[in-house]
Amino acid sequence: MKLSFLTTALLAASCLLLAFADPAANSYTPNFCNIAKQAGLTDVFPNGGSVSKQYIIETTGSGIGFIDYDNDGLLDLFVLSGEGGTNRMYHNEGHGRFRDVTDALGLRSSGWAEGVCTGDYDNDGYTDLFVTYWGQNHLYRNIHGQRFEDVTASTHLTQNRTRYNTGCAFLDIDGDGHLDLFVSNYLKFDPATTPKPGANPYCFYRGIAVNCGPRGLPFDRNILYRNNGDGTFTDISEQSGIAEPDGHYSLGVLTGDFNEDGLPDIYVACDQTPSLLYINKGHGKFEEEGVIRGVAFDQNGKAMSGMGVTAADYAGDGHFSIFRTNFSDEFETLYRNRGKGDFDDVTLDAGLGENTRYVGWGTGFFDFNNDGWKDLLLVNGHVFPEVEALHIDIHYKDRAILYENMRDGKFRDISRLAGPAFLELHSSRGAAFGDIDNDGAVEVAINNQNETPSLLKQAANPPGHWTILSLIGTRSNRSAIGARVKVIAGGRAQLGEVRSGGSYLSQSDLRLHFGLGTAASIDRIEIAWPSGTRQVLEKQAADRVLNITEKQ
Amino acid sequence: MRAISRLFAIALLATVLFAGSSEREEGIAAFNRGQYSVALPKLSAAARDKSDVTARTFLALTQAAMGNCKTAIPNLIATPPSSTDLYRLAGLAAVKCFSSTGDDAQAYTLLVKLGQRFPNDADVLYLTAKVHMKAFNDATFAMFQRTPASYRVHELSAEIFEVQNRYSDAVAEYRKAIEANPKAPELHFRLGRAILLESHSPEALQQASEEFRSELKLSPEDAASEFQLGQIAQVEGHTETARSHFERALTLSPDFVQALIALGKMDTQAKQYPQAIEMLSHATRLQPANETAHYALLTAYRDSGQMDKAKAEKDLLDKLQKPPEGEFSDFLKKLGEKPPAQ
Repeated sequence: MKLSFLTTALLAASCLLLAFADPAANSYTPNFCNIAKQAGLTDVFPNGGSVSKQYIIETTGSGIGFIDYDNDGLLDLFVLSGEGGTNRMYHNEGHGRFRDVTDALGLRSSGWAEGVCTGDYDNDGYTDLFVTYWGQNHLYRNIHGQRFEDVTASTHLTQNRTRYNTGCAFLDIDGDGHLDLFVSNYLKFDPATTPKPGANPYCFYRGIAVNCGPRGLPFDRNILYRNNGDGTFTDISEQSGIAEPDGHYSLGVLTGDFNEDGLPDIYVACDQTPSLLYINKGHGKFEEEGVIRGVAFDQNGKAMSGMGVTAADYAGDGHFSIFRTNFSDEFETLYRNRGKGDFDDVTLDAGLGENTRYVGWGTGFFDFNNDGWKDLLLVNGHVFPEVEALHIDIHYKDRAILYENMRDGKFRDISRLAGPAFLELHSSRGAAFGDIDNDGAVEVAINNQNETPSLLKQAANPPGHWTILSLIGTRSNRSAIGARVKVIAGGRAQLGEVRSGGSYLSQSDLRLHFGLGTAASIDRIEIAWPSGTRQVLEKQAADRVLNITEKQ
Repeated sequence: MRAISRLFAIALLATVLFAGSSEREEGIAAFNRGQYSVALPKLSAAARDKSDVTARTFLALTQAAMGNCKTAIPNLIATPPSSTDLYRLAGLAAVKCFSSTGDDAQAYTLLVKLGQRFPNDADVLYLTAKVHMKAFNDATFAMFQRTPASYRVHELSAEIFEVQNRYSDAVAEYRKAIEANPKAPELHFRLGRAILLESHSPEALQQASEEFRSELKLSPEDAASEFQLGQIAQVEGHTETARSHFERALTLSPDFVQALIALGKMDTQAKQYPQAIEMLSHATRLQPANETAHYALLTAYRDSGQMDKAKAEKDLLDKLQKPPEGEFSDFLKKLGEKPPAQ
């Protein structure tokens, strides 16, 4: 599987026009290129020090999001910034070009932006934006796709103290048609009281002084806001049980109906502490069951440094399994859902045990080759730039990893064959997935610390057929967040779910993409809407975006 | 010596300033100010009263602080154990004196006594660590001076590099040690571990495997090497090979907890629940505080439908959960000791 030096050099030098076949695997091999520069994504997004970092706030980075804010059918891109820059919205002009519309939309900002999630919280037909901060979060209401209005205060989302908000997700916890909001919190951080690098044993990495934490810094709690349906939210963290778990450094947020009872649950990747699985018990109540359900620890019962998280029915067994990115010297973790929300750590059996030198962040299951099996991508980058002084094989900037789904429960790392984009070195954090040109091949946007973002696109379209489902709720929330979809084509059933948030503090396309392999049409689409409505569509053509409105 | 003696003594200041000779009080006060030349004549005068244990002890402390250990030691070790604070102070000073004069045997003997009398005393523990560290340094220096060609020099260098996170240097030193003495046991095992710590590449797994196999050629019943081979096979996705290594490790060492856990987890995955639960229960009995064992047992109970027992294991696990151990424990772990069951 090793590439010759010449091949590697060729791949690095230019983005070849054609994908090629890997004779060893006798399968399609993609050729991903970073087209950010050509696309007009040339702004640098500051995020703390590049040579050394004094405080933990500089390490966690920021998310990135795909959002079609003007309903023109093309995904726009929202990139978050650390202190010293502004979040930016880029309008998708078509033909692979983006234009900065930040100021025109009223989105210029300052401070440490962390995460982004989208959803139409007021059901007016335009997708709204929520941005988490170390500091004050912001809810931006989308005004007819023309501008965004900061409605944080009027929606009662103003926080009464500085919080280190990280991941977020809109979800309808009770199926009332109004999107509620979950916000994870990392820890309590105050630069005035946080020790400096090397100040205590929690401020060292492999013997070198580095920024302190998270160990040694005080915990905070997660937050759940109920959408009152009148344009305001109420903090129900206490009465819902969300606030109960104590002692977790929460980062990436993933929602989904993991125990298959029709109610959305919440998974939170936690750093150096057990990850959390809030099971929705109905009536606005949650119970944290991560340990007993097998998703809190690694297979040794040890808490990992969880960062990003994603879910998919990667094995075709009808259940959503969870993948979480972790720290260097830890395995990534794949938890296979046995059904009903009990999980097994199958990381090693799935062939994911080889990459232990990376600190993983943004991640997503997506079908790059449209063969009908969800593949897996994760982006990497260490938290300590100082690690370079150690001259070891762990680096501040590192490559992304692409795993191909081998359709037998196993994955294969094909990064070194997957194009020049996977040879680039960045200290990446957020990653979002979406088809920017509706050609059936999913692109990946990545937020890199102190660099321009990356936009990964295949040089040629993959061979398989595909469909993209754009769901519009009527009785359900208009974004259809929480809708569970089964697509049956070519004798196979695939599962998808509309999710807000996810990956690492990022937002992927709210539409659902399915590769269909050799099936040129779809036999059946079954949709379980959050309202409880069941809807079936039969005999649909492939290779197009299919708009589906919830039946009344 | 001076600063430490003063620190020790300052803690006593409040308790010893009771009624007594003004010479003694002034002498102790001068000692605590670090004015040993002022303290010495005053305490010498006060100590003429043979019954004044405090004056005699502080005189000895002053002498020790001034580097006159030979004169100080008899009075330091004569301090009666019944005077708890003075005994502790004098003992600490005496250990330092013995250590500085090269009388290590006396220093160790006294440290043992102090350790028994004051098991949770930070000063006693600190001095114990320091004296042993000095012994380590002295022995290391002697080895490097007197037997520079010995493989042990390279072995020790490698272990020190490991502690310093200098894994590539450690690997190089282990290789030199093996070259110097190809038949020495444990070197291949340690080299294999250092290789795994040095690199995260798949190639490193293969290199480490070779070392563990070499160790097994020298020590065919080395359960730790069998276990390491099992772990590597598992990472590489060779489940059956991993199982056979774990089974062999367990045969060689029936109470090898990590091997019990590894096999128990495999049996859980294979839905062989009674077998898994038996092995994992055995592991938790051997090491009741082993979180990994309890978590594996929790999973086995859960998967076999015994939810009450699974929840009981979770409760145990919750009690065992604590913040990660600090740097010092990590430091010790990096010494690369074999699992306790060996």
